[in-house]
Amino acid sequence: MTPMHRPSFALAAETGPGTARLRVTGDLDHETTGELVGAVRLHLGARPAPDDLHLDFAALSTCDSTGLSGLLLVHRLAGARGTRLHLDNRPPFLERLLDITGTLEYLTAPPGEEPPGQAGEPEQRTGAL
Amino acid sequence: MGPAARAPVVAIFEDSSARPRGTGTGSGAVWDDAPCAVLVVDPSGTVVGANAVATGLLPQAVPGARLEEAVPHWLADAHRRLTASSAPLSGPGEAPGGEAGGRSLRAHPARGGNGDVVWWLLDDTELRLAEDALRGERERTALLAEVSETLSATLNVERCTEAIVRLAVQHLADAAVLIAPAAGRRLPVTHGTPEGPVHGTAEADPETVPGLSEALQGFPPVPSRWIDPALLPDWIMPPRFDGPAGSVVVTPLPGHGVPAGALVLLRRTGHAAFSRSEETFARLFAARAGAALSAARLYAEQAAITETLMRELFPPGLRQVHGVEFAGGYRVSELKEWVGGDFYDLHPAAGPDEESLVVLGDVCGKGLEAAVLTGKIRNTLHALLPMAGDHPRVLGLLNGALVSSHHTRFATLVLASAARVDNHVRLRLTSAGHPPPLIVRADGSVEEADTRGSLIGVLPRIRARTATVELAPGETCLLYTDGITEARGGPLGGDMFGEERLKDALGECAAMPAEAVVERVRMLAGQWVAGRSHDDMAVVAITAPRTVHLSAVDGHTRGRYTT
Repeated sequence: MTPMHRPSFALAAETGPGTARLRVTGDLDHETTGELVGAVRLHLGARPAPDDLHLDFAALSTCDSTGLSGLLLVHRLAGARGTRLHLDNRPPFLERLLDITGTLEYLTAPPGEEPPGQAGEPEQRTGAL
Repeated sequence: MGPAARAPVVAIFEDSSARPRGTGTGSGAVWDDAPCAVLVVDPSGTVVGANAVATGLLPQAVPGARLEEAVPHWLADAHRRLTASSAPLSGPGEAPGGEAGGRSLRAHPARGGNGDVVWWLLDDTELRLAEDALRGERERTALLAEVSETLSATLNVERCTEAIVRLAVQHLADAAVLIAPAAGRRLPVTHGTPEGPVHGTAEADPETVPGLSEALQGFPPVPSRWIDPALLPDWIMPPRFDGPAGSVVVTPLPGHGVPAGALVLLRRTGHAAFSRSEETFARLFAARAGAALSAARLYAEQAAITETLMRELFPPGLRQVHGVEFAGGYRVSELKEWVGGDFYDLHPAAGPDEESLVVLGDVCGKGLEAAVLTGKIRNTLHALLPMAGDHPRVLGLLNGALVSSHHTRFATLVLASAARVDNHVRLRLTSAGHPPPLIVRADGSVEEADTRGSLIGVLPRIRARTATVELAPGETCLLYTDGITEARGGPLGGDMFGEERLKDALGECAAMPAEAVVERVRMLAGQWVAGRSHDDMAVVAITAPRTVHLSAVDGHTRGRYTT
């Protein structure tokens, strides 16, 4: 995998009853993440919204911090529509990125079931500072 | 002048040449009704005939008048040259031409009978005006191209301002004044004079110059003829501008969204006032100048932000705090106009029994948005310093302050609290979604600190686990951003530096001072990328010193060293 031979970014969509599946090929980075988020918005906007959204990462080459930020946004959008997000066929580097950043459990938990937090104080969104 | 314009002249000439001398002077001559002026002059230089159009243009040119007294010099000279030579009448050269009666004329000679010369005076005034207008337009287009080229060559606000007033004085006016939007109560003013630009500020009200405060707000300019130059205040007049202004143009410099200032053009009394087309041109000039100036300002602001943020990184010279060594290194991505996403801070302990706190982080994204998030994190952490004894709590509060429903931008960071305990350094390390710090032991082994945690700024709740680590003398803890491990390069150019190479490199850094460890890592990463593009890289080393210089009481005697 050298910069000269990276596959270009591509998305392929497949929809079934109650399901949408997006195959992500190539680099998920600051140039391409917007495209993924746009496609997800499109599929979540369907009526009725799909029960399950699968992102298939079998052909993903890299994922940088902007890519991860995009996945967090996708998770948030799916949760708002009551759609379950599935991150399928995660390559080891993605698994490791999600693991180090402590986002694996969060991104793969069913909607409405937040993994238990332990740090800090609950709901610090109010201006306690 | 094309051949088509001359054709009728030749035809009439052939027709008229057949008539005997004298018929031309009376009524009924063929040129009497010609749509152009016709003069018949005999070889001695006396006018012998003129049609009505000719007498309308040249009232003196009546039969019997001497040609040199009746017509402008250029025509009399042309007649003399013609009669003095035997050359053919209509040579290949351009017909003589000049002004007469407020019109522009071309004189085409033809032979009449008895050596007379029949001068056909064709009016090309409109053509001349069109040619002048075309030349003017070409010059203006060329000038606009020059303006764009000159102004785009610099992103320095001062030089850009100077170039604008210089070009305005060269091409548009006797003097030009550029007024930038007010900085506080003072107006930055640049006067363009033939001697060069003069920068200054004026504590003046823009309302005192008609149309200026509107122009500074970006409203379209008021027509020049509505502005009375006598009302201009002194502060707007350039130094050594002799004499009062005769006419003035005030035009806005439209920037990117916000006005970039206003341009005032002045001409002296006695010089032509600004015509409507010149005013229009001044606006075109101002549009290009405004765009350039605004780009230069944006760049300057961005450069200032970058510089401010970089300057605040690690106070230089702060190498040791209460027996703990700290060193930091930063390698900015070659895209220098962007504020990078990496940062680190050292909050030194107030006393020997307290902990110093190091924060090293990496904000997702680049540019202004990343800079804003970086600033927020650094400020919030500063405010949370009193709670630094409980890293997870600090991270939880920080997370709560950053979570936004508008975006999922996040940061990963490491908190490291360090204090000296006897000859060891005790560390508390907490990763928030960040690669764990690496510990370089005295025997050259390298371990990862056992800390994990979630990234900051997106999740409703976060987790974090703190590791406690003891550093013996000569041992180092290295905090780093993934710009180091993900730097692509090496022999094949596309491989990541990776954690294994970093660990191998650190294995050779046992017993080195913090500064040397940072330098070594920076050097190896720099060699790895070898000039290729790379992300920001930040490293901080925290080291338990091998020898501690306890005291040198008066600065002359040698201090005691311990190990």
